[in-house]
Amino acid sequence: MSLSPLLRKVFLVDLLKGLSVTFNNQSEKERITEQYPLERPVVFERYRGQPRLNVNPDTGESLCIVCNLCALACPEQLIVVKGERNPVTKRKEVVSWTYDLSRCMFCGLCEEACSTDALELTQDYEMALYSRDGMVLDQAALEHGQEPVRYAK
Amino acid sequence: MLDAIKSYLNSGMTPGEYGSQFWATIYIVAITLGVSLSVIAMNWLERKILAHMQIRLGPMRVGPHGLMQPFADALKLLIKEDIIPANADKLVFWTAPVVVTMTAFTTFLVVPFGRTHAVTDMNIGVLFMLGISSLGVLGIIMAGWSSNSHYPLMGSLRSSAQMVSYEIAMGLAIVCAVLMTSLQTGTGTLSMIGIVEAQNAQGYWFIFKFFPLGFIAFMVFAIAMIAETNRAPFDLPEAESELVAGFHTEYSGFRWSLFFLAEYSAMLAVSSIAVTLWLGGWLRPFANTLSGPTWDLAFSLIPGLSFLVMAAGTLLGTIRMPKIVQMRAQAIGLGVFGVLLALVGLVMLLPGVRERVQDIFWFVAKVACFMYLYIWYRGTFPRYRFDQLMKVGWKVLLPMGLGVLILTAVVGLRQELLAAIVGGAR
Repeated sequence: MSLSPLLRKVFLVDLLKGLSVTFNNQSEKERITEQYPLERPVVFERYRGQPRLNVNPDTGESLCIVCNLCALACPEQLIVVKGERNPVTKRKEVVSWTYDLSRCMFCGLCEEACSTDALELTQDYEMALYSRDGMVLDQAALEHGQEPVRYAK
Repeated sequence: MLDAIKSYLNSGMTPGEYGSQFWATIYIVAITLGVSLSVIAMNWLERKILAHMQIRLGPMRVGPHGLMQPFADALKLLIKEDIIPANADKLVFWTAPVVVTMTAFTTFLVVPFGRTHAVTDMNIGVLFMLGISSLGVLGIIMAGWSSNSHYPLMGSLRSSAQMVSYEIAMGLAIVCAVLMTSLQTGTGTLSMIGIVEAQNAQGYWFIFKFFPLGFIAFMVFAIAMIAETNRAPFDLPEAESELVAGFHTEYSGFRWSLFFLAEYSAMLAVSSIAVTLWLGGWLRPFANTLSGPTWDLAFSLIPGLSFLVMAAGTLLGTIRMPKIVQMRAQAIGLGVFGVLLALVGLVMLLPGVRERVQDIFWFVAKVACFMYLYIWYRGTFPRYRFDQLMKVGWKVLLPMGLGVLILTAVVGLRQELLAAIVGGAR
């Protein structure tokens, strides 16, 4: 054994280095754990969470033109859009719009495919439910969004 | 009642003239309660400090900053089902945790918390403490054997092998300190109080004596005592990844909590041996360099002031609590805790109290540093392999202890040795 590793061993240099690391980790700045219900993490803008169907903010009409592109783009085929042409306005209007959240993998292809920016995956991440019952979202749920279950004692 | 306390404070008397049965009884009760309380505090502190070292938060929900967590744990342990394995040796299984706890608590009989704050002043104090704390290994072997299961048996075998091999290094380091009491002043003593008095008389703590000999002896002891109490990084008897929980695998509920209590009070006991032998026991820092009435007053204010600082920190934490309805009860609880700390601090600033408390304060503060070190080591060092453990014990610590012992004797008797050599040459 050459001199310097021996000295390192005798004076416990490596042990002291380790001790300094753990000591410095105690500072509040290093903390990573969040106290979730009290501190909510800010997710990134491009985070893909709870889906939403946008409405025209002025008229309150759905932006969806029932082109069915999202349903075609969806690899899981969990979007089912049914529409009917309105004889007066000559536009297709939504009859039923369902989105099966339980099968969704949040790939965002539907969002990409939407030609009118009607369908959007928002930054809401609190989508956990106790059963699969509420996971098939209809038009109303998609437009108004689901209230996340708030933590309370 | 109040008058009695007042007259006592004005009398200038000190409690615990050792030998008095009345004070001994009071100290036994106080030490039992104090040690149990500090084990509870250690439980919380260990979880919090370890968590902070691992960039976590630790318990935060049960009470403010998880302060009530140890009480919740204790309650859980008490109402847990008490299982005795079907093929266990029931009598031994019953007595093992009792033996371990009894030995851990008995060692505190000779620990001097202050010049007059001790249950008894035994003239073989160090020997008694070593003997009693070595009996703890008997309880561990009993627990491992009586469980009638593989993991506990292997854990207890490891534990006994480890304790036996580290006790030698520990003993050599202790003999070193005992030797130091006899040098220069010529009053060799094994009494714990006598050892601290010798440090007072010689003018410095034994850790600085014959530098670096005292320091090396202290280091040998400090490493051996971690192995002796089966703590990380020498916690092979309870290595979770290999032996489930070691010797207390089959124990649950209250009996398990007795093992827990014993482990932590053994830690406190060996730390107080280390403090007594090398760090001047109850002596305040710089007792000789910074002496005089002004410094005495300044140092006697430190106990109360440190409590006030802790109270200030707690109150700051109360202000920084999240201001929401769910946390209001916790914030109030933390505030009350801070006010209590401040009250204790103010009481400790009273002239009658502060002179009697400062010895205990310095002793406890030094032991607390050791407790922090225990947690720090646990948060940092990975566990040793068993052969590495034995190698450290037999090939490093034992020769070091022997060498330091011989060198201490040589350095301490250098004049006599020189005279003998010169005389022999003539």
